[in-house]
Amino acid sequence: MHRRQFLIAGLALAGSAALGIKVWHYSLSPQPDNRSLVLAAILPALLYGALPQDEQAAITALQRTEQAVIDFMSFLPLRQQQQLDQLFNLLAHRFSRLGLTGYWQTLAMLSASERLALMQSWRDSYLTVLQQAYHGLRELLYGAYYGQPEHWQNLAYTAPRFR
Amino acid sequence: MNIPSHIDASTLLSDQHFAVDVVIIGSGAGGGIAAELCAKAGLKVLLLEEGAWYQREHFVMEERWAYPQLYQEGAARKTRDQAISILQGRTVGGSTTVNWTTSIRTPQPTLAYWQSEFGLDFSAESLKPYFELAEQRLNIHPWPVPPNANNAKLQQGCEALGWEYTVINRNVNGCANLGYCGMGCPINAKQSMLVSTIPEAMRLGATLISRISVRRILWQHDKVIGLEAVPVDQYFQPRTDIKLTVTARHYIVAAGAIGSPALLLRSKVPNPSGRLGKHTYLHPTVISGAVFAEQINGHSGAPQSIYSDQFVWPADSSQAGYKLEVPPNHPVLMATKLTGMAEQHAVLMQQFNQLQVTIALLRDGFHPQSQGGAVQLDSAGQPVLDYPLTDYLWQGMRRALLSMAELQFAAGALQVLPINHQAEAYRNWSQAKAAIANLPMAPLQQTVVSAHVMGGCNMSASAQRGVVNQEGRHFQLENLSVFDGSVLPSSLGANPQLTIYGLIWRNSQRLLAELHR
Repeated sequence: MHRRQFLIAGLALAGSAALGIKVWHYSLSPQPDNRSLVLAAILPALLYGALPQDEQAAITALQRTEQAVIDFMSFLPLRQQQQLDQLFNLLAHRFSRLGLTGYWQTLAMLSASERLALMQSWRDSYLTVLQQAYHGLRELLYGAYYGQPEHWQNLAYTAPRFR
Repeated sequence: MNIPSHIDASTLLSDQHFAVDVVIIGSGAGGGIAAELCAKAGLKVLLLEEGAWYQREHFVMEERWAYPQLYQEGAARKTRDQAISILQGRTVGGSTTVNWTTSIRTPQPTLAYWQSEFGLDFSAESLKPYFELAEQRLNIHPWPVPPNANNAKLQQGCEALGWEYTVINRNVNGCANLGYCGMGCPINAKQSMLVSTIPEAMRLGATLISRISVRRILWQHDKVIGLEAVPVDQYFQPRTDIKLTVTARHYIVAAGAIGSPALLLRSKVPNPSGRLGKHTYLHPTVISGAVFAEQINGHSGAPQSIYSDQFVWPADSSQAGYKLEVPPNHPVLMATKLTGMAEQHAVLMQQFNQLQVTIALLRDGFHPQSQGGAVQLDSAGQPVLDYPLTDYLWQGMRRALLSMAELQFAAGALQVLPINHQAEAYRNWSQAKAAIANLPMAPLQQTVVSAHVMGGCNMSASAQRGVVNQEGRHFQLENLSVFDGSVLPSSLGANPQLTIYGLIWRNSQRLLAELHR
């Protein structure tokens, strides 16, 4: 994956995000399939090194994390929920479209390191909206994963019971 | 009508109206103190809180429960550009229910600044009786137990470098040194408003309404004539199906330094000074992680027991001062703030119990380049804080990262990781020093957090320079007071709870003297 391609994808994402609802008329509302698609692609990469070795245990952990993301989002202000839904919809849509037109693979077909490189490119982007996407997703997903007591084994930590 | 002592607004099935002597909007440090004093004075008090009435038996020592249930916006509140994360309570007792118990009187230089800039004639001496009352009421004493390792490293670093440090005064009674203050005290040791002034006010006849969001204050000419509120849903989002109205002789706004300005902005109250919702201060805070060979277990033990004021008041007043403290280390707080992704992040998390974390809180608001942020309303009428970070603040943050790295190495750290997204873990002080000098100080690259929101309805001697007077009385609406951290005309350079307790104690007494006349 070349840096220039990331940049093009990034610009498309940024442009769409900036134009918002005018371009993607549905994009502010939650689309569970899009959210799942994006989480299924990003979570395993982001959590590489943290997920359990056992495949079944890892799948369970990912499902638990996705549910935690969904549960948590309802507590955010509607404004922020819409921004996140828009991000999920744009990511899902953009990647699918690139896949269809043959310019690029779908998000799901990128290797873990390519997905990480994609996120890293957002972090270092000169476009604020991509930086915000990087930090917003990173905090949301790490918070959801490490909020679960089942995922604390590597930390040698348990939450106390005082009563 | 005989009103019960507690109403959960989300359980109401029809519109309701309440008529009382005093209505208090918000049950944190300001609202809690005011509620008890007003109830003691024999007034009929209604205390309104957006959060839920969670008590000891409800608290769960897990962030996945505590953050969405007890904090504003699930503890994920951010400034408009998302560059600063804000921890702020939203529950009965407000931030006092979830704070880390640090209790510090208003620093003398801060009072002097308020005098010179805003004509406020407070002094350490004139406020002393009120600090003493609050300290007595909330059992505020120096923490007698040795610090946990997280705080001990701060102390050891200061000792090694000859820097000032102080043992912290805490508002606790029977504290078992657990370390979970941020999730609600599970043994009622923390003397928050939740266990002190609010139950006492209720015993004296005050009514608490929880899960209620005040949307608008109604006013005419120079008087407030009522307020409109709605219940919130299970996610604390305002509902629209039921309306609650309140009329009172006097209205006290105490919804915190984001909530209070937002309510007054929604209500379009007179604002001739133009300062309503402006000059919001945060003590913008930067973080430095350090790996030690030994166990730190920063989740265990009183979260804050040592601070250092070595750098709060630099001799060169063109530099931003900063206070050094430590936070409690819990999995979500750590995972979201540690930098990097994938294996790099996982390796850091595996060192969870060996991580020491130091924070530096910048004293904002004392410089032309530090005029704070502005509370704005989104399309749903909910607040969002715009807070521009200036070169003055960035330079202060870089110096703060340097001080923290120097301190952590002096305390024996194996590695220091400044929490900046371009930083790496550094193995010695000279390496860290050279690298920090070149880190990009920019929004989102440099992680900035806040747990202290102040200002937005600042007090001033003159109506041209403030929203309220020195007594917290609104300059234009005579039966309206603001009794919370939003009246502070700058940040404090110290954790705010005791300043708010003392100030609101004073201003409640003055208000009561007038209401009884």
